[in-house]
Order: sequence, then C-alpha cells, then structure tokens
Amino acid sequence: MVDAARQPRIDVRAFTEVEKVEGFVGNFKVTLREKAKHVLADRCNGCGDCAKVCPIEVPNHYELNLAPRKAAYVPMSQSVPLIYSIDLDACIHCYKCVEACGSLEAIDFSQEDKIVEEDIGAIVVATGFSHFDPSVMEEYGYGRFPNVITSMEMERLNNSAGPTMGNLIRPSDRRNPQRIAFINCVGSRDKRYIPSCSNFCCMYSIKNAVLLKQMNPSVDITIYYMDIRTPSKGYEEFYDRAREMGIHFIQGRPSLITEDEATHNLFVHSEDITLGRVIENEYDMVMLNQAAIPQPDQNHMSSVLNVAQSPGGWFMEYHPKLRPIDSPTDGIFFAGACQGPKDIPSSVAQGSAAASRASRILLSERWEIEPIVAVVWPERCTATTKGRACGLCVKACPYGAVVIEGDKAAEIITAKCHGCGGCVAECPEDAISQLHYTDAQLLSQIRALLADKPEEKILALRCHWCSYGGADLAGTSHFEYTANERGIKVMCSARMDSDFIYEAYRLGAGAVLFSGCHPQDCHYITGQIIGAKRAVRLKKIFERMEMTEGRFRVEWISAAEGDKYARVLNEMQDVLDKMSPEQLQEEIARLKPEMEKRLKRFPGVPGVPEAMLYSDNLVDAILKSKEIA
Amino acid sequence: MIEQSHQPENEELRIGVYICHCGSNIAGVIDPKEVVAFAEGLPDVVHATDTLYACADSGQRLIKEDIEKHKLNRIVVSACSVRMHEPTFRGAVAEAGLNPFLMEMANIREQCTWAHGHDREGALQKSMDLTAAAIAKTRFMTPLDMIDVPVTHKALVIGGGVAGISASLDLAEQGIETILVEKEPTIGGVMSQLNKTFPTMDCSI
Repeated sequence: MVDAARQPRIDVRAFTEVEKVEGFVGNFKVTLREKAKHVLADRCNGCGDCAKVCPIEVPNHYELNLAPRKAAYVPMSQSVPLIYSIDLDACIHCYKCVEACGSLEAIDFSQEDKIVEEDIGAIVVATGFSHFDPSVMEEYGYGRFPNVITSMEMERLNNSAGPTMGNLIRPSDRRNPQRIAFINCVGSRDKRYIPSCSNFCCMYSIKNAVLLKQMNPSVDITIYYMDIRTPSKGYEEFYDRAREMGIHFIQGRPSLITEDEATHNLFVHSEDITLGRVIENEYDMVMLNQAAIPQPDQNHMSSVLNVAQSPGGWFMEYHPKLRPIDSPTDGIFFAGACQGPKDIPSSVAQGSAAASRASRILLSERWEIEPIVAVVWPERCTATTKGRACGLCVKACPYGAVVIEGDKAAEIITAKCHGCGGCVAECPEDAISQLHYTDAQLLSQIRALLADKPEEKILALRCHWCSYGGADLAGTSHFEYTANERGIKVMCSARMDSDFIYEAYRLGAGAVLFSGCHPQDCHYITGQIIGAKRAVRLKKIFERMEMTEGRFRVEWISAAEGDKYARVLNEMQDVLDKMSPEQLQEEIARLKPEMEKRLKRFPGVPGVPEAMLYSDNLVDAILKSKEIA
Repeated sequence: MIEQSHQPENEELRIGVYICHCGSNIAGVIDPKEVVAFAEGLPDVVHATDTLYACADSGQRLIKEDIEKHKLNRIVVSACSVRMHEPTFRGAVAEAGLNPFLMEMANIREQCTWAHGHDREGALQKSMDLTAAAIAKTRFMTPLDMIDVPVTHKALVIGGGVAGISASLDLAEQGIETILVEKEPTIGGVMSQLNKTFPTMDCSI
C-alpha cells in the first residue's frame, strides 16, 4: 500500500469512481468522478485533529460496524492516502473541525464532486469481490444470535489494529470465548445461493484457527467442512500444521444452530460423516465463513466497460486458458477476484500478469487494430441518388463513426469505427460494406453451407464475441447437439442482414437461428439492440407468412452458455423432426416466391451477382465432390 | 506484429486447404482424408492435404512451404476455433509473404467433432460443408492492412486492492504513468482488513 503511494509514477485517486469509458485500445477516454471529501487533499497533513474534536460518532463500515468512527474520519489509521474526509450525512455543522484545523485551512464545506476526463492507453480492472450476507440463511441465526459472527468480523476482532486491539471477545458479554466453531461454505457450494466454490475459504478458516490457537493455545477450535481444498504450494502443509496444533476438523455441513437464551451459548447441529451420525456440540462463539460474491456494482461496471459476465456475475475473460487475463475488449485486462474468487498469492500474480499484458500496448509507440471496418460506396448513397442522405447509418452507429456533411454521401471515420457492421445491414440502399464481412463473402458461405439437402439444415448466424463463443463452449464441454447445424460468424448481430435470412429460406433452409449476445454484454455498446430490432421485425414478417413456429428462432447466448447453445439447436431440430418431409417441402415452396420478392434488390448489391454466379458452380462442385468422396 | 504484403489484382485463385487431425480430437471422430478428397474437387483448390497438428511448428512450416511450392494465394485451415488459433495461422501465412487476411479457418473441432462425437456421419458432412464455406469466403477475400493507431502511454487501474496495487506497481516500475482509482477513501481493499495471511502468516498491509 505505502509502496504504491510512494511510487512517483502512481497517481492514487481514492474516493473516486469510473463514470464512463469511451474509445478503443491505446486511445480510451475515461470520465472519473472524484467524490467530494470536503477536505483539500493538498492541504490535509493527516494529523487527525479534526477527528479528535468531532462530536459525532457513526458506525465504521471498514470495521464491519463493530466500532465507531467520527464524521471527520479516515477509515483506518494506515489509510493511503492519509487524507481525512467529512461525512456530510452525519455532520451537524458545528465547525469544530474547521477550528481545530486552524491555519492549515484544509476543510472546505463547499467542495463538490469533480468530474475529470483522462486519456488512457490501457485499463486494468481490479474491482475485487464482496461477501455473501449469511443473515438470509435462517438456520444459522446470524443477526439473531449475538455470538454468531462472520469471517470478516472475526478478522477485525482478532486484529491488533481492530476495534478490540486483537483481544477476541464475544459480542454478547465481552468474555473471551473458549470453544469456537468455524463453519465453512456458508452460501458457497450451496445450490440455493452460490453453487460454486469460493476458492480461498478453506485455507482462510484454517489460517484464522491457527492464529487464534497461537494467541491462546487453550482455546478449543472446531472447523466444520464439506471438503478441505488445499491445492497450492505449502497449503497442505499448513493444514497438517493446524491438525498438529490440535484444531478439530469435522466433515459435515451443519443444518442448524440454536442458542441458549440465558448464556447465549450456541449449539451446532450437524452430521459427522466420519462417524456416520448426527451430532450436537456446544460453543461459546460460531464463525460463518462467508462465500465470495461479485461486487454489488459489478453489473454496472460491466456496462461501463462493455465487458461480459460469466454465470455467477464475475467478469468474463477472453479465453479461460489461452487469454485468462484479457477481457474481450482489446486494451482492457482483468486482475484479481473481479474475474472469479482468488486468494492473495493468485491476485498478486494476476496483477503482475495484467500489468505485463497492458504494458505490451503502453510501451508501444503505435498499436495495430483489425481492419474490419465499414466502407461506403458514395455513388449508392441517397445523398448521391436522391440529393439527401437518409441518415439511418448515422443512427445505427454506436460510436459516432458515420458522418454526413451537408448534401455529401455518408462517410466512415475509420479510427472511430469498431466494425460491428450495423450501418452495413441498416443501409436501405446497400451503400455500405464491411471489410472481411462483405455481402459477397457471407452470401457465398451461406450458399456453400446450404448446398446439400438444405431442408435438413439449421443455419445459425452467430456473433463473434458471444454466441460463437457459446457454440465453442458447447463443443469444449461436449454438450452434443444436432449435426445439422451450419454456423456462420459475423462480428455482431447488428451485421445480420435480413437479405441473408431471406436468401437462406429461398434456398430451402430448414431453419434459421439469429443469435447474438445479451443486450448488456454487447461488445459494440448498442449493436445488439440494432440486431434485436431487426430480428423482431423478421419474426413478425415470418409469422405473417405463416411460417411454422420455430423455423426462425431468435436467441441471445453468451460465450458462457454452451449448454444453452446446444439446447436451442436441439429444440430447433425437434421442430423440423415434427414436420413431415412433404409438409416442410410444401412450406419451403410456398414461401419461396415471398422470399424472392423481398430479395428483388439483392442482386444490385456490388459483389452479389459475382457471388451468385460463383456459388452456382460451387454448389454443383460440392454435390459432385461429395458423391466421389 | 503482422507483416504486410499485397496480392496483385485479378490474379488467378490458388487455394490451399489443410484439414487438421488435432491428434484424435478431430481424427477420432471423422477421417480427415475424406474431407481432403472432398476439398480437392472444389473450384480453385490447387492443393489439399491433412496434417496431424496444423498449429505445431511442423504444421505451420508445411503451410509456409506449400505457399511457396504451389504458389498458393488463399489458405483454408479446417481445425479448431478462430478464438484459439486464428492469430497463429495469420502469422504463419504472413511469414510466407501472404496477406494474413487471405487465410480463413473452418471450425471443425469445437463446433463439429467435439459437439457431434456420437454422429460420425453428421460430423463428416458438417466438416465438408464448413470447409466448403471457408473456401467460398476466400474467393471474395481481399488483402487488408492493419489499422495503425497511436498509443497514449498512460494506464488506468480500477480498484486499489491487492491485485490493483500489484498491477500499478508493475506498470509504474516499467516507467508507465498510472492512475490508480479506488472508490473507498483508502486503497488496500479486503486485504487491508485482514489480520495475517496464509500460508506464511505475515502481516497483510
């Protein structure tokens, strides 16, 4: 902590929140809110005279509300930076602090939140984790029984810098407890709350047990556990040491804690798996080892940063093995528990790893980004053909990268374009294309995929960041689904042009899946919203055509939802299986003229006639080649 | 960084197709040689072969040598996910002097053999179609240049817990100006609230 404050190149901005992140790798624009402390940072010398005279006391949440603080305060004596704050919610404006501060004149009641903008090259997200509140688990009585405490409360009660100066007392009568039970997996590995393991709690409860035993060898400690997990270096040895010290371990998850109302002693009811029977033991104090959960504002941060969340709410890495530090957005990296529960050694290591990933960019003069941007054919824009640009492309762009000046055709500012392809698919004149994802390329792919028995196939349109990742995860997890799926990838559902879908049905596709990310996960801010609007429109059109329900399906699937991808595809296969071949063929034939009507303008798109011609040959070759092979 | 090179316009297409076994990951479900035989019959494919591990040094070397030997100007690699090895194969073709955006992958592992392990015929048909679609896409690919952007040499670390402090120190010690933002009035996070830490029982602050 102090190293960070001492390092001249680190600018510590405490009591500050990130409001907005715009831009792209190497060129982010970040808006910060520096919250008003009502103390001038450059004048406060941290002497604490203001706190000494402040007459107001409120609970200190840093001490888990076990101790008070003043309205003029620092959370703890070792705060970095050591600058006091005035808590205006608690302050009674007696101005004794102003008097005590004297000639330093560091207190400023008129100070307001300050909004600052910073130019940033790369971002490391290290927003950490929060703790499960065990009061929702009625069986453990937390909040009702004074001597049932949480693991974080235990930390403060046995800490020499804490409210009791390290003298462990039990809240009901301030006596030193002699018999203490620790209960592991409180909230975690529990299907009712958090199904996953919180990673560090086994070691963490053993640590607290060893610590208490070191301070007072006569204290009797029992740890109730489901499994003891000690996978890292030196951890198993630490567990051995705890057992040698006489700490008891009982395998069993307690089902109930009851209290003796007179003594406030506690009875832990549990199974002892080793003995194979139900036990009930009396303790002076019980500590609940709370699960790690995402920060309460993790969803908000996820949308500020445009990064997705895994099931469970943690930030999701680009690839769990190959790029575990990178977010899917180039230039944004994860460190520590915000990506999933982690202990201190892993968090420190990941902090270094994130710094290393970020410095690749930050130490470069320039950085290269993929050229999959939009380009305009100005001669096709309505500005040229009708004298006035329609502006739909401007509306579709989440980045303000499309501009129309006067009566000129739309123009793309390449540096601002992130390549979602929304403007391309929205342009009613087909005057915009996307490099590497042109209509000609995508059309040829679709025709190849539907060359052989199209009526049996399910064409799946997926976005690069989410539903393609979901399909990958289905495979990695070996969730099997119908092999009739034929996938195609674009960068964002915003690029999924209606023409591709009409063309697929014209060719006789059995079914089409329109899939992308969930709205809050979109890699292109609002790209998914554009895609979703179009998908809803298409759904209505196909309903009016009386297409069998389920032959066109719209699903939002994250890269973490492999099971969902497999399920959706299997359900689509069921829809096709329920139709007789004649019924399906009849419907395909009936709707073909409808599709052709809607595709009337398609051959006018640059590249499409060539792609059609090429595909006709390719389809023949595919069919012939399959026979031979 | 990827090296750039350009294709002449209106050239004759010469597509090379590589079907990866990925050990038994792909070849345990389908016979890659059947996909090779299929690909050989498609327009503009001048060379198709199977390879045990396309991503291994030997696999990459094969592609690079073939580009030279068969004058290939489009490459299709039917192997794993683009999220896994697209940068690998883009790099390999660039080293052989081909624009990296003239390479296309077909995902016949994660999205085929791994997902249809009990439907060998279905997986084989799908592998063929995905390979054909990649070949079709390369027909309309053009060489592209990476977009070169300037870099602001300043880092932002969001969160002043142990991970954020560790990242900030490492960045700053490399000479990078770093802003460390913390929403609480002090940095330190959960770590600063802990008494001693495992397994060495040293102080947390």
